[in-house]
Amino acid sequence: MTTTQTNEVSRPPFWRDVRVIRVVGQIAAVIVVFFLLRYFYGNLTANLSRLGISTSFDFLSGPTNFQIPYHEEFNPRSPVWQLIAVGVKNTFLAGLFGILIATVVGLIVGISRLSENWLISKLATFYVELFRNIPPLVIIIFFGFAVFTFGPFPILSQSWELNFLGRDDVFLIVNNDRWGVPGLEQSGQLGAFLAILAVGLITAVFVWRRRTKGFDATGRPHHRVLWSLGTILIFLIAAYFITGQPFDMSWPALSENRRTIEGGFMINWGFMSLTVALGLYTASHVAEIIRGSILAVDGGQSEAANALALSGFQRYRFVVLPQSMRVAVPPTINQYLNLIKNTSLGTAVSYAEVTSLTVTSVGNGRPAFQSFIVLMGVYLVFSLTISLMLNIVNRRLQLVTR
Amino acid sequence: MKRIKLLALISALMLVMAACTSDGDAGESTTTAAEGNGSGDGGGKLAAVREADVLVCGVNDGLPGFGVVDDAGEYNGFDVEFCRVIAAAILGDANKVEYKPLTADVRFTSLQSGDIDVLSRNTTWTATRDGQEGANFLFTTYYDGQGMMVPASTGFTTLEDLDGANICVLTGTTTELNLTAVFNARGITFNPVQFQDNAQLRPAYESGQCEAWTSDASQLGSWKFTLESEGGEDQLIMDEIFSKEPLGPVVADGDTEFAQAVNWALMATVQAWEFGLDSSNIESYSGTDPNILNFLGDAGFTPSIGLDPDFAVNVVTQVGNYEEIYSRFPELAPLEGSVNDLWSNGGLMYVPPYR
Repeated sequence: MTTTQTNEVSRPPFWRDVRVIRVVGQIAAVIVVFFLLRYFYGNLTANLSRLGISTSFDFLSGPTNFQIPYHEEFNPRSPVWQLIAVGVKNTFLAGLFGILIATVVGLIVGISRLSENWLISKLATFYVELFRNIPPLVIIIFFGFAVFTFGPFPILSQSWELNFLGRDDVFLIVNNDRWGVPGLEQSGQLGAFLAILAVGLITAVFVWRRRTKGFDATGRPHHRVLWSLGTILIFLIAAYFITGQPFDMSWPALSENRRTIEGGFMINWGFMSLTVALGLYTASHVAEIIRGSILAVDGGQSEAANALALSGFQRYRFVVLPQSMRVAVPPTINQYLNLIKNTSLGTAVSYAEVTSLTVTSVGNGRPAFQSFIVLMGVYLVFSLTISLMLNIVNRRLQLVTR
Repeated sequence: MKRIKLLALISALMLVMAACTSDGDAGESTTTAAEGNGSGDGGGKLAAVREADVLVCGVNDGLPGFGVVDDAGEYNGFDVEFCRVIAAAILGDANKVEYKPLTADVRFTSLQSGDIDVLSRNTTWTATRDGQEGANFLFTTYYDGQGMMVPASTGFTTLEDLDGANICVLTGTTTELNLTAVFNARGITFNPVQFQDNAQLRPAYESGQCEAWTSDASQLGSWKFTLESEGGEDQLIMDEIFSKEPLGPVVADGDTEFAQAVNWALMATVQAWEFGLDSSNIESYSGTDPNILNFLGDAGFTPSIGLDPDFAVNVVTQVGNYEEIYSRFPELAPLEGSVNDLWSNGGLMYVPPYR
């Protein structure tokens, strides 16, 4: 009885009770934010309605009315949401290839900077300092206009057509506007082919697991990469013949009036300028991350590896790189996200990515506010998906404490 | 546990707030509307411009003849002159203009948000822009149409010659929509290479990456002039004009008083031309034509259009009449006998009487 009394006495009044203050503070913050947002939204809708501008999203199903660059198959009567879908696809492609270039070049340059060869390390330093200190837009315009438009390549109607060792089919069409490369075209049961391939992939995973288990149990070399790749290859060949050759090579060819490329796969100059420029720009940042992460691994680790008589390759593969990856992955995710966001600069080289198409469609009378809401949503989804995937990778790489 | 309680509390609170606010919705949005208008109460845009003592005018900065920044860093061009006309009429001084360079695809957003008072940037009057974009189109200062330019050496003379070709075009323009419509209607395939401004479009055209350049005929004319005078290839503008492009200054919807004042300021340039008044003779006018005397603001004639009685004198002395303005720019097509000539000479320049 006495103890509860002292408890009640020792409790301060509610306006000085830190627990109450905390809760009230949070609630107050929520209320303030809520009303601020409401105020801004009310202001916006009031201003738009004063000007007689609609705030609905109906425009997404209205016709686009303009032609997308380098998409002759796009029907300008199709609705605006299809236009946005084309933009999303192109943003994705530019992001994907940009990231590939950035990773490969970044890795090579980053490791080269640590090389003991004076020339290689100085060249790598030069590369990093050059690309890191120029804004990406300038690099994109350089590639777009200096390399392509005014570069060494001929105009479309006078393209270089490269043959493949005496074959009749053109292997590569090169000019300052769009390049043609060989592609695949469906000629049989592609669905069945892909299904068999999927089974092959699953089998390969099982083979991988089995080889790892065998290695853990007996210590014999597992060669799991070779085994899994071999499995996939066998399935690939089998599937190709079982389904009766589901696709053919398609060779690029200039059309009769020499103004378009028929067959094969067409790559336009906007895509090339954008991905190469952004890839090389981001590579300079990735290289620095790689270099820093390798240097971050304590020297004692390498010494210990040497003491165990590991070879140079083994030292990197089993001791240094696994530890440096832990340092490198989080900042690399950031660089990838930056690259995706930077693809919005593609508008400078007439690349049909989602920002340039949205801006064009706003310029042609679609409502700006709603269009940009959609655009922001697209980038948000892109960025969140990438960070989600890479965070999973990151978690798997982190030190497991037992 | 504590955290869950807190969350529950907050969400309950938010529900209550949402319920309250949706009840009071109507009341609140009207108050924000009044605030959103800002200077809107009473005087409107006209009073706001007089208050600021400067007219903010959205212009082009890369189109010789219509709006361009010259070597001295000054804005210069046909559309720019009409900014000066409006400033002379409203503020009495043609130099009280602040120019905002705009690209084609942001111009209406700028106008809607109130960043600029007037948009004078070779802008075509269309139904969508009048409606959805909240724009109020005023007197058409230039009647134009879309054309197609190719290097003369190619020998192309009709649109059909361009089947499958790359065609350079600016984004967010009626030109782009027109190009698509006309080519689709005739079953001609093409690939539009889109740019946001002429600084990028020009190199693509000069390098031969685009085989043709489509735009308003007036713009093509000014580029033909520029390219050829800078030692480039001879250019050919095809005879075919495949659209109507009435160009003129634009203000935001919802302020008729301001729109009316701007409109009469623009029309005064044509009225002065019709009366035979120009910057050299308007002040020394000694005739007795009552219409002209009214126009000059003598005898206190004021039709209550929101402008000073002598606004026309300011406009013509400081900027000039339509013909004077037009002839300042050699990039424009010859005025005489064109659609932009005075109605009495067979053109389309016709303004309601000032009386």
